[in-house]
Amino acid sequence: MASISLLNPKAEFARAAQALAINISAAKGLQDVMRTNLGPKGTVKMLVSGAGDIKITKDGNVLLHEMQIQHPTASMIARASTAQDDSTGDGTTTTVMLIGELLKQADIYLSEGLHPRIMTDGFEKARDKALEVLDQVKVPVEINKKNLVEVANTSLKTKVHPALADLLTDVCVNAVLTIASADKTKPVDLHMVELMEMQHKSDTDTQLVRGLVMDHGARHPDMPKRLENAYILTANVSLEYEKAEVNSGFFYKTAEEREAFVRAEREFIDQRVKKVIELKRSVCDGTDKTFVLINQKGIDPISLDALAKEGILALRRAKRRNMERLSLACGGTAMNSFDDLQEEHLGYAGVVYEHVLGENKYTFVEDCKNPLSVTILIKGPNKHTITQIKDAIRDGLRAINNTIADKALVPGAGAFEVRAYNELVAFKDTIKGKSRLAVQAFADALLVIPKTLAVNSGYDAQDTIVKLTVEDRLSPELVGLDLATGEPMKPVDLGVYDNYIVKKQILNSCSIIASNLLLVDEVMRAGMTSLKG
Amino acid sequence: MDYTREILTFQFGTYANYVGTHFWNQQEANFRYGDESEQVAEEQLPNNDILYREGRNDLNRTTYTPRLLSVDLSGTLGHLPVTGELYGNFVQRDEELLPLSTGEELEQVRKRAEESGVCSPEQLEVQEQSKASISEYQRDLLKNAVVPEKNYQLAATANSWVDFLYARYHPRTLNVLPGLIRDPTAQALGTYSAGTEMWQEVSFNEEFCDRIRLYVEECDGLQGFHVLFDIDDGFGGLAGKCLEHLNDEYSRASFALPLHYPRITSYPQADTRLSHSIRVVNNVLGYHQLSEQALMFTPLSTLETIWRNNNLKSRSLPGLQWETDNLYQTSALLAAFFDTATLSYRLRQTPESLLRFCECVTPAGRKMTAAGLALPFGLREGQDLIEFLDQSGDHALLTQLTPGCEPGTSYVVQSVTARGIPAERLKRPRELAGDQLRMAAYSCDSISHMLQLYYQCTYHGSVTNAAATPLPLKTQLPFPYEMFAAGISRDGYRLPEGAERETGSRVDSAPMLAAVQNSTKLGEHLDNVHAQSHRVQLAKLQAYSNSGLERDEYDTALDQLLEFRDLYADSQYL
Repeated sequence: MASISLLNPKAEFARAAQALAINISAAKGLQDVMRTNLGPKGTVKMLVSGAGDIKITKDGNVLLHEMQIQHPTASMIARASTAQDDSTGDGTTTTVMLIGELLKQADIYLSEGLHPRIMTDGFEKARDKALEVLDQVKVPVEINKKNLVEVANTSLKTKVHPALADLLTDVCVNAVLTIASADKTKPVDLHMVELMEMQHKSDTDTQLVRGLVMDHGARHPDMPKRLENAYILTANVSLEYEKAEVNSGFFYKTAEEREAFVRAEREFIDQRVKKVIELKRSVCDGTDKTFVLINQKGIDPISLDALAKEGILALRRAKRRNMERLSLACGGTAMNSFDDLQEEHLGYAGVVYEHVLGENKYTFVEDCKNPLSVTILIKGPNKHTITQIKDAIRDGLRAINNTIADKALVPGAGAFEVRAYNELVAFKDTIKGKSRLAVQAFADALLVIPKTLAVNSGYDAQDTIVKLTVEDRLSPELVGLDLATGEPMKPVDLGVYDNYIVKKQILNSCSIIASNLLLVDEVMRAGMTSLKG
Repeated sequence: MDYTREILTFQFGTYANYVGTHFWNQQEANFRYGDESEQVAEEQLPNNDILYREGRNDLNRTTYTPRLLSVDLSGTLGHLPVTGELYGNFVQRDEELLPLSTGEELEQVRKRAEESGVCSPEQLEVQEQSKASISEYQRDLLKNAVVPEKNYQLAATANSWVDFLYARYHPRTLNVLPGLIRDPTAQALGTYSAGTEMWQEVSFNEEFCDRIRLYVEECDGLQGFHVLFDIDDGFGGLAGKCLEHLNDEYSRASFALPLHYPRITSYPQADTRLSHSIRVVNNVLGYHQLSEQALMFTPLSTLETIWRNNNLKSRSLPGLQWETDNLYQTSALLAAFFDTATLSYRLRQTPESLLRFCECVTPAGRKMTAAGLALPFGLREGQDLIEFLDQSGDHALLTQLTPGCEPGTSYVVQSVTARGIPAERLKRPRELAGDQLRMAAYSCDSISHMLQLYYQCTYHGSVTNAAATPLPLKTQLPFPYEMFAAGISRDGYRLPEGAERETGSRVDSAPMLAAVQNSTKLGEHLDNVHAQSHRVQLAKLQAYSNSGLERDEYDTALDQLLEFRDLYADSQYL
């Protein structure tokens, strides 16, 4: 490193203990910010920016995204922790807590002269042991409503108020079960659960719509606002006249001639509209059936007018993903051209209606026969409330999907951490040399989870830990903290579960990140002259 | 067709937002509300519905906001909430402004959150960042108390484009890049590749594309897109990817304006030499993408050239003075060009369209065009246009705004727009005409016709399309009126030699000319970019290595840019 200081005399260095102190203080700082978030009793943060932007959240992932973290170490931890959320959908707060606690515990031993390498070796052994324990304690589950409700509820209660969490739990579980495969053995494509927001002053329910809600409506005043027994034609065909070819102008002598040319050019479009109208007449005339056209491309006013005269409801510029969802929800095929239109290409919905709120229109497609795509409709009085609920629902859906993938659950309420602590304390006796100290540190760090749950619920951390660890040794079943009473309880009995994959990923992430930070022996900050690339 | 031909506008980057702010300020300065005393013919007024959309907020008030998507870094919005100021959903942190605002008091927001059931009262913890400072002009504006004669010193005090923003935006408009904070000394989004990666981030991409779709769905006759972006940093990558998306999804004309900073740009972890190389690579990749994705693009800068311009040599406009590297002042010039050049297809009852406008000046695939500007247009007070043009035969009317380009006066294809020249200044009536009768142009009955004839006479083998409107450029606050020299009158005309505008008075409006031009000489700009690329060693650019740019990718872009440049060789002229 001496050569760098020759090239850049202004660079600043921190070595060995100093470098470690920088990293540990960053991790602790981040931990302090996040600790009040953990668990159902954690506080909800209302972030108000300098300009008055509002963000309400209890989600660690969202919180880290919103913070402007400048410290490079804290920034790295934040990025790694939010990556946890990207891959498994949850666990950001826990990851940050554990990283901070691992470094805090390590600091005790390092300050007495233990070498960081020994510490990281011990962490690795401890992590492997903890993963073993995780495999031992996981509960295989059948995929049914009861089990999914329990895991979703555990997740959602850490994001929103319990009463709201109960409502959202039902919505999320029903959504996933609706679109899951018949044998429910494969994770579902969560893109097929659409989250639609409606800002409404007085109506604040969130509900499951077995079908679609689209964020746009008809653009012609004479189109029907509500249709029942509707055929649905989904298409990706342009119904608007737009001269797009270069150098394809035409010449005319009189205004009448120009009009004739324009009319001839748009004949192409009119023919397409006629095909839709012909199909509508052939399948609807003489019956009580109605007709809806949902187009991914545009529909111009002249085409809208022709369709409106036929009583067809036409929506333009549908979201690409909605084209796929319409086929799943209503049946039928998304058409890329109107040549050879057949009745079998049409989907069906019992009712299609439009709803107007302020300047926004929504179109509901409901009463689908066998919907394989559904919509969760979120209503709230303002944007930041809706966003908070939306973030929570995403996490709930991920928790459910993780359960379907794992086919297993882990008892929650800090129960796994307590069991792992006890197992690691026993395990350390089988370790030779100083690594056992690191195993002890790892075990102590795991307890930060039940400790924080206790503190956030208003109980004494030390009392709680003593009760839990003693009870766990006495009981073959896992013992967690009852946040309502502060006493030990069996999470399985109360239905408090966490995802297996989330726990596993947390253990991997926090030990790797903490180990990497411990092994940093030099921190360099560029001076006024930047480094040469 | 009797329905509106809408345009959706994009602004990517800080400087693009500076230009955009002046542009939207200009639109609103020209709003007409029916009771105006001046009578302008209907067909010469802009159709504001092309750029604006009508909406309704929660208070059931009608809103009229730009159809705009703006992307910038954290820290540039200042006092402005991301959701804009018209639709609520934010805390008004300035108590003095509370009654005038759609924002709410903090306590009220807290109460509402508790009522809606997302959390219980004892569990809500409020964390407030320090209140954002607001410029004096903005504060007065929000209080409806702007003093027109006051000197707010915006050139010296504006720290961001929000400080002189007069327009109010829709909640869909403002997009802040997550995790990137503005740094006055270095480009936070430094490389083209970083911009393309940002586009591919799911969290940004999904919401942004949805906003595009929502805007487009409202349009009955969308005719295309305006895209302004900073090309010297990563916003070029973001804009390039967006243009690609627009082509794939909507197949409409797109007019792109890559903007070059009027400064020497710096990048994180790079010294002066490396910064220069990064800028070169950003430009190569940016221009290559534009040559494929845009229908037409016009690079803009107030500097004479981007390369080897350590002294920041600026273009000069007679009658104007500005600080070379002042973002607030220079962006006003670029915005004036953009507003004027695009007027022809934004007028009411015009048969012109964005597509035809672009096609007229980009023959044979020559998508890159140059910008010419005359501000103020050199008319003397009391002088008729016919006399002015008669005396202008031996020197250029226009100053170039495209760096390193001089289209010349032969074989030029151009589209010229004049504004602020009223019909009575065309020529004198026959009985008073005097010498004017002997001028060839006396037979012209409109400004545009006269301009067309002028260019036919002075430009060899060229094609000119001309349009005109009597509406002048409004140069009142918050336009940087201080740029006008003392020899310019209140109405923007040149005063007689030695005369000066009376002390304390300002230029309220100005006539001007803007042109989009094309000729074989524009290849020189691309040659300049290419010449710089020889000195770039891509492997040494850590910023690009970090963002995963492949050598092959860069070489391909360079080769294809050369092929694009060949379209400007003489042998290919139609």
